[in-house]
Amino acid sequence: MSCGGNCGCGNGKKPAAATGSADAAFDLLNRLKSEAGTVATPSSGPPTIYFAKEPKGAHGVKAPGWLRGLRITRWRVISQAFFFAAFLFFIFTTWFSRLKGNPVSAFLEVDPLVGLATAISTHTVYRHLVWSLWLIIPTLVLGRWFCNWMCPYSTLHQFFGWLFNTRRNLDKVAINRYRSIFQLKYIILIVFIVLAAFGSLQIGLLDPICIMYRTFTTAIAPASDLAVEQAGGSAAWLFKPGSPHQRIFYGAWFVGLVILFLVGMNLVIPRFFCRVLCALGALLGVLSRFALWRIDRDVTRCTDCNLCVSHCEGASDPHTALRKSECFVCFNCIDDCPEDALSFRFMPVKKPQPVEGQLHGRPVITQILETEAPWPALSRRRLLLTGVLGVLAYPFLRLSAAVNSKAFSRKAIRPPGTVAENEFLERCIKCDQCINVCPTNVLQPATLTQGGLEGLWTPVMDMRIGFCQLNCVLCSEVCPTGAIQKISIEKKLGLGQHTADGPISVGTAFFNQGRCLPWAMETPCVVCEEVCPVSPKAIGTYDEQLKRWDGTIVLLNKPYMRPELCIGCGICEHECPVADDRAVYVTAVGETRSKDRSLLLRSRQT
Amino acid sequence: MLRMAIGAIGGLSHFIRPGDVVLIKPNVAFDRAPKLGATTSPDMLGALIRLVRAAGAAEVRAADNPIESPETCFAKSGIAAAARANGAQVFLPSPTSFEMLEVPGAKLIARWPFFYRPFRGVTKVIGIAPIKDHNLCSASMCTNNWYGLLGGRRNQFHQDIHNIVADLALMMRPTFVILDGSRILMKNGPTGGDLSDVVHGRTLIAATDQVAADAFGYSQLLGRKGDLPQYLHNAHARGLGEPDWRNVAMQEEQVG
Repeated sequence: MSCGGNCGCGNGKKPAAATGSADAAFDLLNRLKSEAGTVATPSSGPPTIYFAKEPKGAHGVKAPGWLRGLRITRWRVISQAFFFAAFLFFIFTTWFSRLKGNPVSAFLEVDPLVGLATAISTHTVYRHLVWSLWLIIPTLVLGRWFCNWMCPYSTLHQFFGWLFNTRRNLDKVAINRYRSIFQLKYIILIVFIVLAAFGSLQIGLLDPICIMYRTFTTAIAPASDLAVEQAGGSAAWLFKPGSPHQRIFYGAWFVGLVILFLVGMNLVIPRFFCRVLCALGALLGVLSRFALWRIDRDVTRCTDCNLCVSHCEGASDPHTALRKSECFVCFNCIDDCPEDALSFRFMPVKKPQPVEGQLHGRPVITQILETEAPWPALSRRRLLLTGVLGVLAYPFLRLSAAVNSKAFSRKAIRPPGTVAENEFLERCIKCDQCINVCPTNVLQPATLTQGGLEGLWTPVMDMRIGFCQLNCVLCSEVCPTGAIQKISIEKKLGLGQHTADGPISVGTAFFNQGRCLPWAMETPCVVCEEVCPVSPKAIGTYDEQLKRWDGTIVLLNKPYMRPELCIGCGICEHECPVADDRAVYVTAVGETRSKDRSLLLRSRQT
Repeated sequence: MLRMAIGAIGGLSHFIRPGDVVLIKPNVAFDRAPKLGATTSPDMLGALIRLVRAAGAAEVRAADNPIESPETCFAKSGIAAAARANGAQVFLPSPTSFEMLEVPGAKLIARWPFFYRPFRGVTKVIGIAPIKDHNLCSASMCTNNWYGLLGGRRNQFHQDIHNIVADLALMMRPTFVILDGSRILMKNGPTGGDLSDVVHGRTLIAATDQVAADAFGYSQLLGRKGDLPQYLHNAHARGLGEPDWRNVAMQEEQVG
């Protein structure tokens, strides 16, 4: 038994027995400490680092105020503020005029869950995803430092949890203890990994970085722009300047409600998302099982006051056997400990050790309890059950008609450069960076209609809101996982060395002659033909002069489609004046990314 | 060349007084490279801004409400760089930069959202437009150029294109216009997209009568036979210009 009976791992009757003996041992220890005074602990290894509020020891000299002010928890807050600002900067610069080679998707590219899960689903590592080693390696050494030093989503939760915290100390101690519900994140992680192995990447639903990007893209940045515009603020404050229309998004209300709910849950359980739902945190938790440094409690100093729990961010039980995989390395416990019993130590003694001391003049030997629960608290049976859950979830998702090539939604129009749908579902993490950078607002997070649950929040184009601008490949530039492959303008338009391949088509435009003004209503129009950006134009006209019902003579240019030339950009649909149900509209058929979805027998042989 | 053209209509000092705030309206409708002829030539715009500033203008502005994404249109057409490099301020549309404009006597835009923000404090307006083929209204030149100042549901105007363009000539009576024939989009307009659609016209027209300039451009530069576009006749009928350019006092200069 390595769990020491405190991890809730469900190892039958052991915990009760272990707890009993623990109490007895602590009793003895406390008496040793209080009555005998001198306690010899077996100390070995590198020196311990204490991050005490005030230096203690024989010299008794106080450090100067500014130095005391810069204790490690302050450094942590500075680090969190820095990374949060960096994240905001990246969201802010994900825009045509601000991109300038800024690594705007960097947080996604260092996200080990993105790297690992796409590696599992595609057997490849795309572009910058190898950067996740920058996170994995320190995690193997220091534990889940990312969770409380870098993750912008966690900073958001911690900030609001702190702002609205009205608990008294005793309640804080109670609320920050470990609960068995915290196992849920490991279950979520395993289900996601199993799904990824089958080729369905769902990590984006509960990866904090993906949620953060998605929420800022579809809810917070547009809301901020609305506020700035209404207040008459300068364009420099806008997330998306030079956009003649307020950006709108499908499901913005839902993404907004989710963030409100998750942030609000901090009032019920502090760091609710981080502790209960975060799939990335679960992965880092597993990795940190091997961490070399960890919070160590000197049981000979500890008075069991439990103050260390009162601000514990991870609910990792520093007051008893530390749950290493839950610890966010926030150092609050070290700050809070009045006895300096807690320290961050390199490979502290993990095994139960004998403590020798004197009690009433007689030598006494007792045992120090094991002070660590290294593995996440998930029993083998639950692990197995979770694997089965993942295996079952795959067919449930994939058998939904929306993602099947027989019944794919005609409105699941993917941006140019997107890989074929099966591979797309292996790659897209629903971070919505492509949607964030899109200058025309055409890219939208998919609703359940376009891609089922599996395709939820993946990018699709709605040509009523925007159109795919001819000379633009920004979405392919920012995609961190290659769901939209990085393409050049030449590749998109089939120019230069790509002439033989022809242009990339994302769909085909169709006329609804029953709603078209020249076709059905004796009224001139052809905005569609005017704006068609390809040369020669994919929209031609049959020109016809006729006498209208009221006797006036009109020249009607009746538009028709030349399907070999249409690239599905949708500017015709966007500019069509039949506002509610456009007389020309694009559907996904004819897209060049997949032969299964082609339209013409001789595609692009003109 | 530009200085000679403006000299032929009286010289810039005749139009621009020191201290004027001048708005120049280029055509930046599409996200296209300058050589494709779908937008105003940035070189020509730059030269115009330099001349206007040399004439003593206190401030020069360039503004348009493009069809495609404004930032990308201004950047890739070279207009933003040309304007800024020559000391002009660039105005991009935003949701709050439109105001209702009253155009008394207009048939379609008696009250219509107008890209007003860049016009605050402006004393002179100059239009500089390329010559482009256009299926619905035959050609797009100086008068069509003002379309880029409209907001709202402007895609409805194609149902009565010849009256809206005449309305535009009524809405904007510019200080003068430049019709830039350096690159002429002969077909597949107004978007173009292929170098084979463009010919070099090697001609520049400055005019105080935009209708006459358009008429000249249509028959002489775009080389279209037959009757002029109906919108020029409509504008003439409303007393907004002379479509028979032979009746206008005209001066022609050869360069090189």
